[in-house]
This record gives sequence, structure tokens and C-alpha cells, in this order.
Amino acid sequence: MPKCLVCYKWTLDEKDIKIKPADSSLDTARAKGKISDFDRNAIEEAALLVEKQGGAVHALTYGTSAVKQSLKDVLSRGPEKVYWIADASADAADACVTANVLAAAIRKLGSYDLILCGEGSSDVFNRQTAVRLAALLSLPCVTYVEKLSIEGDTVKATRKLDEGSEVATVKGPVVVSVLGQINKPRIPSLKQVLAASKKPNEEIKITDLGLKPESLQPKSVHRSVKGFVTKRKNIIYKESSAATNVAKLTSSLAAEGLR
Amino acid sequence: MAGIFVFSEDKALSEQLLTPALELKKTLSEPITALALTDADAKELAALGADKVVLLEAASSWTEGLSEAIYSIFSGAGGSVFLVGGTLRGKHVAAYVAAKLNAGMITDAKSLKIEGGKLVSTRLLYAGLALSEEEVTLPAVVTIPPRTFLAPSAATNAGTVETVKADSDTQVAISDVTPLGGSGVDVSAATRLVSVGRGFRKREDLKLAEDLAAVLKAELGCSRPVAEDEHWLPIDHYIGISGHTVKPELYLAVGISGQVQHVVGARESKVIVAVNSDEHAPIFEAADYGIVGDLYEVLPLLTAAVKK
Amino acid sequence: MNFQLTEEQQLIEQSARDFAKEFLDPIAVQLDYTGEFPKAVIAELANHDFLGLHLPAEAGGAGAGFVSYVAVIESLSRSSAAVTSIINNQAMASYAIQTWGSDAQKKQYVRAFIKGETIGAFAVCENGPTTGIGPDALNATKTEDGYVLKGTKAYVRNAGEAGVYVVFAVTDAADPNALTAFVVDASAAGLKVGPRLNTMGLKGCPVAHVVFDDVKVPETAVLGSLKAGREIATRVLALASVAEAAQTVGIGQAAVEHAAAYAKQRVQFGKPIATLQAIQTLLAEAATDCYLARLALRAAAQLVEDGKPFEAEAAIVKSFLARLGSKILVDSCQVEGGMGFSESMPLPRLFRDIAGTTLLDSPADFPDYAIAASIA
Repeated sequence: MPKCLVCYKWTLDEKDIKIKPADSSLDTARAKGKISDFDRNAIEEAALLVEKQGGAVHALTYGTSAVKQSLKDVLSRGPEKVYWIADASADAADACVTANVLAAAIRKLGSYDLILCGEGSSDVFNRQTAVRLAALLSLPCVTYVEKLSIEGDTVKATRKLDEGSEVATVKGPVVVSVLGQINKPRIPSLKQVLAASKKPNEEIKITDLGLKPESLQPKSVHRSVKGFVTKRKNIIYKESSAATNVAKLTSSLAAEGLR
Repeated sequence: MAGIFVFSEDKALSEQLLTPALELKKTLSEPITALALTDADAKELAALGADKVVLLEAASSWTEGLSEAIYSIFSGAGGSVFLVGGTLRGKHVAAYVAAKLNAGMITDAKSLKIEGGKLVSTRLLYAGLALSEEEVTLPAVVTIPPRTFLAPSAATNAGTVETVKADSDTQVAISDVTPLGGSGVDVSAATRLVSVGRGFRKREDLKLAEDLAAVLKAELGCSRPVAEDEHWLPIDHYIGISGHTVKPELYLAVGISGQVQHVVGARESKVIVAVNSDEHAPIFEAADYGIVGDLYEVLPLLTAAVKK
Repeated sequence: MNFQLTEEQQLIEQSARDFAKEFLDPIAVQLDYTGEFPKAVIAELANHDFLGLHLPAEAGGAGAGFVSYVAVIESLSRSSAAVTSIINNQAMASYAIQTWGSDAQKKQYVRAFIKGETIGAFAVCENGPTTGIGPDALNATKTEDGYVLKGTKAYVRNAGEAGVYVVFAVTDAADPNALTAFVVDASAAGLKVGPRLNTMGLKGCPVAHVVFDDVKVPETAVLGSLKAGREIATRVLALASVAEAAQTVGIGQAAVEHAAAYAKQRVQFGKPIATLQAIQTLLAEAATDCYLARLALRAAAQLVEDGKPFEAEAAIVKSFLARLGSKILVDSCQVEGGMGFSESMPLPRLFRDIAGTTLLDSPADFPDYAIAASIA
């Protein structure tokens, strides 16, 4: 009956973000919020474990006041309670600050058998949070998990790495980061959506975490963010004769020094 | 604080890390210390520009289990920058070190330099949509993906090698280590690639692409559906956002529509060519050259023309 | 006054969008091609609580309001209006039984509707000049222990797949306008479903005539009370017209979005055609019509949810879309030109489907008549 905590991030949906042609800056005005993709897998994994074995799933998030939009969404996906920290510091928070805040909150919330995170957030994809949390909480950490099981207090995870896979077995409590391929998050049924309003959510004030000001100071700061614009030649041959097109292409390739 | 540290469990990658390390040394004027896991790695790193190499002698070869030991060495020496090879294992180790140091970490840096006493780095955000430039206070940890840099040429003076006993983690037990079943081909190392997509009707038709690849001296790559859904090529040939990122001198996309999830894996190729029957396919926007036509007609003609 | 959906309604709408993407998009084209009743999709709709969306929680439904209902129908219709036709017609039967049914009728059918175990059909139309009049009109003759139904119901949606039919019959020959509603199980002897009609659009939602050849039903088959049928039919059809308008808006929105995306990448005369004024006008008008229709639709749905009179507003929405629904499609097709004319593109199917949602199921009073009656 594992007691699980899932840490998630409320991010902007990158498919709504446009690049302004004038200066390549990003236009996020129409971007809607979403639970970060792999965090959704983490929530689903916890929900599946608890559906099978009993236990509980709680969720935790740190962000700006926008996180309030995520509460019903996350509660419709399995967790029975969500803890949230909304603070302006989240705007400039880097992985260091995020981990400091989440770790302080987890220390306050008590012990969990399993702390789950997505591999990385869909906006910045740092892939640091899980490991940082584990280091700060002095817990073992298993990353890049594509299959997870827990029996009693023992966690068994199949990790997928660049060169192959391996199985990690460790006694909980453990911090785990999951890959997108671990599961396919189910679409919440309407009853789950409606039931979400009745589930509890609790705000944790950042001032109650006992953090030193340095812990909230980001170590990395953005100097600029620009849309990645590829400028390609776009020379397309579309004559009616394939042979003509091929001839033109081969001479272009030769001109590029690619024969 | 002093010391530019480099580490990767991947030998080739750890050598590549010396190149940006040497560049940083010019500005920071600090010595380069490389961490190595085998004797052969240690000697090579010493020969390629590391001032000092620390050879870790550990009971277990599980890279992630050495995170604490690696952190102690770096913090004990008062290192200012830690360059870690951006494999998945490397990212795990790097994040641990960064957390213990309460330091900033850049994941998958595309470039880095020292400016105003801070590390300035560029990397991608929003699934490849944007490029961000960040500055990090020192000490800082940076992970660098394979093949971002080339290994440097041999240094004039070889560095020293020191062996140190390292404690490995005892909590996590590793078993069932299974290598990736694949063709052994590393598409991300190929200088030329012919990439196939759903425009091909059946597996046997990939021969057309194979013939072209042969005359071009290229490897075969593919889009995600070809590997994951159709299983016409092994999964390690798949190029895209959750597959390989490639930078060949020639990337030829055949029968690939050009969704951003695929293009982001290939868009830094030197020359991109597309062949597709749909003139509105987004791949043409991402290409330098293209042919609108039936690949079944175009490929044999192209193969013959290249052969000449 | 708030024109936005509430947070909960937005989440419901998002669930519907996600559902449509996962379960409807992959089958929409094939469904239109074969017209084969999509049993697997019905099962998934049931799993996600879409079939009991509007029914109260005590009955096993989701208890969501009518605004949520139309938002769901619109979202799902962007992918397949054929499927939402099945849902709407089922909802007419389930709403009727939940609202006017006896405990026994509710017990027998409501949960089965919600779980997708029974499909429901709602049969009002006949081939005669109006329901209740003509040689084929459905008549219910009183017998000792019930009624005998004889006649034909025309253009019954979900016919053949339905496990139960809510039908409207004349019980008193001297008073043909007074209809009585009956709940008739599909297994009743004498109930014959005619051959499936090959419809222009909304293929996948079966349509057929249903013949009642001396079908015996017990007293307890009456829905509500004797001669309450017209009141039941009027109410249900009025709600259905709002639900159908939601389908129309969904189809229109899908068409506009597809045409706009097409225009942005179709290059002619050296530029994407989206830069040409003629194309911009077509797209702007179509988008405007969809937007306004949606607002009016939601306003009408809110009146329903608040228990207020809504028939005039529903008629306005219906009338607006009757005039402009097909225009949205014609204009979208104009944008896509020759390319869009191919059946491998979505517009032809959307064109045929919107014909179904704008032309059929007119209430007994034509919309403009109803609007005029409310203001003059």
C-alpha cells in the first residue's frame, strides 16, 4: 500500500507558442497551460500502482499563481490531494531553487514510500529535479524508468539508458523519474473530472518553508530566449519530368561539394 | 575556487569535453582535471590536454553510484566548472553534484564561454522551438551532448595521472543489464544520412533507399513511425525529438512529411534535401533542396545519377 | 455576465477533445466510408461517462449540466458528427425515460443506457403530413391489458441498433393531436426495422423506418401519462435542436480550422493563399459565423440549465445555423479548391454531415415562426 507523492509542473503548451517574425522573440500570449507531459506519466504511474495495490497518491507543485489552474486537472487524474506553492519566485526559479523549494515542502509533508517525477519538464527539459530532490533529501534516486513496481518497501525499476537497459532494485523511500514510454495516461472520465472539485487542495506558503533567502536565489539566469528559426535555401524542383528534377538536384549537390 | 573538471563514463565523449575545457582554461586560467574510470581512458585524457587525471578505483562500475565520490573530488578541489558528458547517466551524476553544491546546472549546452566571471551557455527550450542564452554563477555544472565538440589533438605535455579509491553507492542493486538490440550502426555518427518515412509503402521498398545510401556512402535513418509502428528499421535508427539528433553534412529525407518532432532531430545538418510527392509537405520548408515527385520514380534516377 | 465556460466545464470540454483525438479521429473516415455502427467507440464513450453526461448522479450519470453537454457534443462533432448523432439520439431516449419514466422503466433502461449496454432511439416522425395523421400513422388501440401499436415510424435514428424505442402514438382517433409516448423494447413481437437508409451524411448513425405490426405492449409501457406525448416530444425535440446546433458548430469549426491551415501552406502566385483578400474574406466570415453561433448556443444552453424558457433562443440558434451552416462549408470548400474536393480530405465528409445537422429534425414549428411568435 505505497504512499506516493508526485511532483508536477504547470507549463505553457509549447504548441501554442509562436515566434514573432520581427525579432524572433517568443509570443506566449495565446499559450494555454498544461501539466508537463512526462509529469502526466508520473501521475498516471502512481495512480496505476495505487489502483492495483492500495495506498494513496498526493501531488505537489511549485509555480506562479497560475498553478491554481492545475488543481482540478491533477485531481481528476488519480491523486486524492494536491499541495501547491504559488509564489512569484517561481518565474525566475532555476532547477536549484525549484529543488530547494520542493525538498523543503516534502520535509514538511512527512514521509512517502515513493516520490515520482517526470523525466524532465516539457518546457525546459532540464532533467535535474528528481536527482536534486533525492540528493537534498538524502534518498536514493532511480532515473529514466520505463517500468516500475513496488512490493512492500522494495522498489524495482527498469531503466532505459542510451546503450541499453538495466534493473535497479532498492529499498524505499526512493525518488524516481519516469520516461514518457512508461505508460499512456488515460483520459479522465467525466465523473473523475466532476469528482475533482470535491477533493482537497492545500496551499503551502513559501514563507512557511523556512528557506534561507539564498535558497531562493537562482544560480542560472536567462539572458535571452529567441525562437529557433532555420533559414534554409528552400530550392524545390517540381518540373513534370523526374529526370529533370534529379539532374537539377545532382548539380546543386555538386555545387555544395557533396558528390 | 579553481579547476575545470571533465567527466564522462563514455571514453570518446570525455575526450571531446577537453576541447571546451581547453577553451575555458584560456579565460579562467585554471588547470583541467579529468576524471577517468579506466587506465586507458586516463592515459588518453592525460595525453590530450588534461593537466591532471584522477583515475577512480571503485568496487562497482555503476556510474551513477559514483556520484557522491565524484562530488567529493570536485568540491574538495574547489572546482569552478564541471563539464559532464551528456549521456543519460552523465546527466544523473551531474545533477547530483550540482545539488550537493547548491550550484546551477546547464543541461545539453550547445555552446559555453566565460564572461564577467560567469559561465554563459546556450541551449534549446520548448522541445526545440527556442534557443536560450543563460548565465550561471560559478561553481557551475554543465552537461554536453556527444559530438557537440571534436576531441582536441595531442597536447605538448602530458598531464599526471593519480589513482584514487572511490566509494560507490551501496543502496541500489543493479541487475539484468541488457544492451540495446540494434544494428550496431550509430546514425548520430554518420556523415551522410538517407532517412526514410511513411512515403514508402512496404518494407521491401526500402531497398530503393538502401541503394541510394550505398552510392552516397550514407547510413539509413528513419522517422519515428517507420521504427516504432512499422518496425522496418531498428529503433536506434530513428531520428527525432525522442530519438537521435544528427548533424551530417547531407541529410536526405525521403517520403517524410517533416513534422517538427522529426525535423528537430536533423535541422542542424549542413545540407538538407527532401523528396516527397506532396508539395505542401512541411519538410520542404526545412530543406535546402527538394524534389516534388514520386519517390519510387525519383530514387532510382537519383541513384543512377549519383553513380555516374 | 461571464461568457467563459467554468473551470469544470473547461476540463470536461478538454476531456472530450482528448477523447475525440484518441478515439474518434482514427475512425472518422472509415466510419463515413462503411457506415458500420461503431460499437467499440460506444463502449469507450460509456467508459468515459459520456453517455450518462446529462443524467443525474443518483441515476448513475455524471450529473453535468446542459452547457457541458453541448460543449462535449461540439468537441466530439469536430471529429465525427456521425458519432454525436448516435449520442444525441440516445440522449433523447434516456432523458425522456429519466424525466417521465416510471421507476420500473428507469430501472430497466437508464443504467443500461449509461453503460452503453442498450442503445436508445426516439421515434416521432412519420411519413404522413404530420405526426398522428395519415394512413401509416402510429396508432395505439387500447386492449384489456395494454395497447396494440400499428403503424410506421419514419427516419428513426439508431434504428436497428436500438434496444428500446421511445415512440409516439395516437391513442384517441378523435383527438389525433394528442399523442401518447410509449417505451417499446426492440424485442417486442411485430416490431420490424426496415432496411437501413443510405443517407447523404452522418454515416455510421443508422437511419431506418420502423414498422409496428400489431405490437402488443402492456399498460406499463406508457411513458408519463396518457396524452402527455406531445408535451414530452416538444420538450425533448427543443433540447435536441440545441444539441444538434452544437453538432453543426463543431462541424463548422473543424471545416474552418482545416481550411485556414490549408490556406497558410498552399502557395499560389508565389505566396500562401491565406494572404489573398478573397480567401481572407471567406475564412473570416466562416470563423465569425462559428463564433457567433457558439455564443448563442451556449447562451441557450445556459437558459436550459437554469430551468428558464429557452425555446425562442433555441429557435434563433437553429435558424442562424440553418442559413449559415452550409455556407461555412461551402466557403471552406471554396478555400480548399480542387485539393479539398477529394474524398481523402475531410471537407467533403463535413459538407455532407452538416447537411444532416442543419436540414433534419426541424421542430413542428419552423424556427422563424417560433422566433416571430416570441417577439410579435
